[in-house]
Amino acid sequence: MVPVSIKLSAPGGVAVRWSDGHAATYSYAYLRLRCPCAICRDTPPVVKTEPDPFPILGKGPIAATGATPVGHYAIQFHWNDGHADGIYSYTYLREICPCEDCRGGET
Amino acid sequence: MALFEKNSGVSPEQVLQTLKSIRDPDLQEDIVGLNFVKDLTVKGSRVALTIELANPACPDKDRIKAEAERLVGSIEGVRSVSVEMSFKVTRRQGSQSRTLIPGVSNTIAVASGKGGVGKSTVAANLAAALMECGARVGLMDADVYGPSLPTLMGSSHTPQVVGNRIVPPVVHKVKMISMGYFLPKNEAVIWRGPMLHKMIHQFLGEVEWGDLDYLVIDLPPGTGDIQLSLCQTIPLTGAVIVSTPQDLALKVASKAIAMFKKLNTPILGVVENMSYYTCAHCGQRDDIFGHGGASQASREMGFPFLGEIPLSSEIRFASDSGEPTVLGRSSSREAFQAIASAVASRVSIANHAAVQTPTIEV
Repeated sequence: MVPVSIKLSAPGGVAVRWSDGHAATYSYAYLRLRCPCAICRDTPPVVKTEPDPFPILGKGPIAATGATPVGHYAIQFHWNDGHADGIYSYTYLREICPCEDCRGGET
Repeated sequence: MALFEKNSGVSPEQVLQTLKSIRDPDLQEDIVGLNFVKDLTVKGSRVALTIELANPACPDKDRIKAEAERLVGSIEGVRSVSVEMSFKVTRRQGSQSRTLIPGVSNTIAVASGKGGVGKSTVAANLAAALMECGARVGLMDADVYGPSLPTLMGSSHTPQVVGNRIVPPVVHKVKMISMGYFLPKNEAVIWRGPMLHKMIHQFLGEVEWGDLDYLVIDLPPGTGDIQLSLCQTIPLTGAVIVSTPQDLALKVASKAIAMFKKLNTPILGVVENMSYYTCAHCGQRDDIFGHGGASQASREMGFPFLGEIPLSSEIRFASDSGEPTVLGRSSSREAFQAIASAVASRVSIANHAAVQTPTIEV
């Protein structure tokens, strides 16, 4: 199973449409928290979701700034917190699909 | 005078309609629908056209040509037919355009699990056979530890560096790069992963490959850093798995297959090397490593079987003297040609099937 299209700045986060017709929107925080890289698995990242009262002091809420395909099997997201190490294989991306049908009620 | 020439009543549509009954043997569709018929001209009763196949090594090329001539010739009012055969190697839509090697249409990795099964020999002969069919071919030796392609292809030129790009030497009309070019004799590469990754990057991105139909990549044995880097750096068109017929080699080959599956890289098929031995003195055939193991295994796993190569001292001799067997007069020549043709046909099928690559929108 492979994604057909990945929209990085869809309303609500990253919108992924799959080859079997399934579609879902992953919020940035949801995706960033599930970064599969070794460092984030060991120490889960602190993810900012609220806008800063003083934006001048830091970056805004988490957002994807770019993405590169990795071979035929995965995608690498670039985040505005500077992190870009996680290689999200398509299988993994589908596993963590946040839509209600896939989560089956769990949050 | 053209003005007074009697109108034969033959229309280009009529010719195309007739050609629709010819099917491409690889893609199993008619050659008109595939848009393979080019430069169709009808002048009075003379018809000229070109058939552009996707596979340069198509074994049915002559049959298709004869068939087209016969069919068009049988149209009423046609007196002479001239059919030219050509090829244009396809590439997967939108795949390679954003990678390091935009000019390369197809990348074929030659892999195995076990060492010493003849990956490099198969890679060198595959490249040479595709070149002989008229394709533009490159050969990349990704086996840094035991670079054997310079010996197999008979080349020891040191590549030139122009600007900061490496110009690959051209050996037997194949552009080639290997770690063997850069290493002094009796020196070894003793590297950790990040260095290997960097080398793969440089061999792809900093070598002046130009426009190629096929880039054949000879991998080291195993499922390590080099294989992973390669699969991550470029979307490979596919992998060719080489194995000997014995169970031991096949078991290890299945590890390589598992890796490519995991990385979503298509498997083009399996080659059985050292398939049998024919005694030079008495002509008796001996199946040293068993026989047919790879074809059976590929059937079981659902991959195409690409062909078998005998164990032969001719191949060994040609390889050591730097002349790929397929370019010589050895009796094993045809075995390699058949494999090259099968690989080219799997590539055109894979490209036609158009596996989707996601579009990424910012």
